[in-house]
Amino acid sequence: MAKINPKFTDELKKYGAFDTNACYNCGHCTAVCSLSTEEDSFPREMVRFSVLGLEDELKTSLKPWLCYYCGECSQTCPRQAFPGELMMTLRRWLTAQYDWTKLSGLLYKSLPLSITFFILVIAAVLGYSWHENFNIEKIMHVGHYFEMFAIAGVFALIILPNIIRMWYLTIIKAGVKVKAIDYIYKFWDLLVHMFTQKRALGCDDNQVRWFEHLILVIGYLSLLFTTVALDWFGTSSKFIIYLGYAESALIFIVTFIFMYERIKKSKELSSHAHPSDWFFVIWLFLMGLTAFIVRIFIDTDLITNNLWIYLVHLIVLVQWALIIVPFGKWTHFLYRSFAMYFDALKKDQV
Amino acid sequence: MQDNNKVKEYDALVIGAGIAGGEAALNLANVGNRVLLIDKDLTVGGKMIMLSKVFPTLDCSACITTPKVSEIARHSLITTLTSTEASDIVQKDNGTFEALITTQPRYVHIEDCTGCQLCEEACPVNVEDEYQYGLVGRKAAFIPFSIASPRAAAIDIENCTLCGACERACPTNCIDFTQTVEKFMIECKTVIVATGFQLFDPTLIPRYGYGRFKNVITSMQMERQLAPTRPFNTVLRPSDGKIPDNIAYVLCTGSRDKTVGTPICSQVCCMYSTKQAQLLMGALPMADITLYFLHIRAFGKGFNEFYAQAQSMGVEYVKGKVAKITEKEDGNLILRYEDISTGKVTETEHDMVVLSVGILPNQGITGLFKNRKLELDQFNYISQSNPLESPATTSIKGVFVAGVASAPMDIPDSILSAGAASSEAANYIRQLSVKQVEV
Repeated sequence: MAKINPKFTDELKKYGAFDTNACYNCGHCTAVCSLSTEEDSFPREMVRFSVLGLEDELKTSLKPWLCYYCGECSQTCPRQAFPGELMMTLRRWLTAQYDWTKLSGLLYKSLPLSITFFILVIAAVLGYSWHENFNIEKIMHVGHYFEMFAIAGVFALIILPNIIRMWYLTIIKAGVKVKAIDYIYKFWDLLVHMFTQKRALGCDDNQVRWFEHLILVIGYLSLLFTTVALDWFGTSSKFIIYLGYAESALIFIVTFIFMYERIKKSKELSSHAHPSDWFFVIWLFLMGLTAFIVRIFIDTDLITNNLWIYLVHLIVLVQWALIIVPFGKWTHFLYRSFAMYFDALKKDQV
Repeated sequence: MQDNNKVKEYDALVIGAGIAGGEAALNLANVGNRVLLIDKDLTVGGKMIMLSKVFPTLDCSACITTPKVSEIARHSLITTLTSTEASDIVQKDNGTFEALITTQPRYVHIEDCTGCQLCEEACPVNVEDEYQYGLVGRKAAFIPFSIASPRAAAIDIENCTLCGACERACPTNCIDFTQTVEKFMIECKTVIVATGFQLFDPTLIPRYGYGRFKNVITSMQMERQLAPTRPFNTVLRPSDGKIPDNIAYVLCTGSRDKTVGTPICSQVCCMYSTKQAQLLMGALPMADITLYFLHIRAFGKGFNEFYAQAQSMGVEYVKGKVAKITEKEDGNLILRYEDISTGKVTETEHDMVVLSVGILPNQGITGLFKNRKLELDQFNYISQSNPLESPATTSIKGVFVAGVASAPMDIPDSILSAGAASSEAANYIRQLSVKQVEV
């Protein structure tokens, strides 16, 4: 027997949910959703679980990750219970459940704490620069190594354990009997969804948004590769330099469009944005923009007298790598892809 | 009928001649009050006269309405004016009212018309028949419907080509294109507002395809197909005239839906849909009828038994709000909904869909009153200032509300409400004649 916890919606509200209790259980959201299928019908089930506070059912469910928030359910909900916003909230809540450090949950729930962390990073970067007597070459060198170590460290210590926890909850605890060989057979699904997010195309009238996302993902991953593996700031290869320019410009242009839409609130999905959504898009924008400017300063030989611009870039980079990537919205991208992978395993279980 | 030289003084003005207004007018007249009953339509009887049967007794709706309508027409103390509206209603210091009455020209002298329909035959213009809710056509010179009252022709001047064929065909010379708008002032002691309701316009929910998909009709259109005065004498689907054998009802179309501005229950759709389902079971014994509902509200006397009866007759009730309707090439329709009993998204094909449209308050009533404000409630129905003790009282002393003008309700409740309004109004008239009333 499941235990009902009526206070659960209060907890969820801290992650952004609306008046979920307004739901009168008509199923309109599920039927209007273009991604909802007979095997995977949502979001009404998630609304019921949330209203009843069935945490175990929610933790072991992959359905929140199957939603790409086109917003049609929220727009047409006869009770204005905003089921689409609830799905988004559940993704944040699930991120906090998967995270063994529990920092995700704290950051989602508390804006002051998030700001404190951001300030601490600023202090640390400036403190370190002061310690190095603002030696530009030294700092840029360390910055470059920091990127490599941050990626490896965050992946090994935070992301990998959290994905294993997700796997444990949604496969083992959920009682899914997976054929061992499927882990290999279905691995392709994981890669496809990770790089294309093609499921978002199933949302009606979503082609433009999907394309923007695709460009962003490709731009982001290739800029990461260009700066870390090809040492964009240190290279003298014309090709790499121009490649980096193109990638960083792409990132700040697409994120600028995203921010503009959020401000205009022209789309349902943008109209209830949480601080964590803002952090994600603003930091991505700043990363692209500051990287672009830094490289311009390098190319125009202004960088030696303008260390501040690199420090701004480094601060944004460290905040991104240590706060937003491991504990913020960035992980949604991974969890989503793994959710598709696990869902494929589930559909083919013994 | 109206004689323009008569003194325009009445005890009561009743606005709206549907079942509530008609009942209130009869009650007031039967205790000796002179009543002016007006309706903006060409006929009295309101929406009820258009219905097939009433729930939960399955009595014939027209058979209840028509005796009342003819009693109204013959009552010596009731003056009935159709195509007529009231405005500029002013309450005087002594508690009585003045109002401007405006009658639109019908282009037919009602008293001379015999209802022979020769003008209809002569008229060359065909337009959609609003009294059959667009299912069939009518002429521009026409009698609204066979049991209309007054049963007299009218000229639809907007569509008329002024060819004069009706005038030449008329054996009594009752057609008169020189008629103009008539305006006159009246004095009365009390006003009853019985302005009824509008039906929800389902084109506001484009996902249901009403207006685009021919076989998606409204419940009022189905009501007409089931009524004794029905246009086809059977039930047909509009696209190809096929007799449907798998009909779906989509309940709560425009009710309990905040996105279309109607957060409340319309109170009648569950039961009228159940009634239509039972009638369809009789009219088309081989047809499957499915009702998609959110919650069945069978709250009145005999309602739940009526609902159980429909289920035992084989009407299928499926819990789940239909979200999308798509049309197939053959005109059949696919309904997408979440079957709440299984929790799964389901698609089901039907050959005809009836949208059980909800009811909406009539707008613009407050604008009729000049020096007093007729308050509306948060749902834009007329506010009942004392709903428990005196449900017909409004924010204006001496103005009473009857029927759906105050809230969604079914026919028996409308008649009860009219009874309350008329007794309150009679009481007010009596008070005015014996003492000073503070307003």
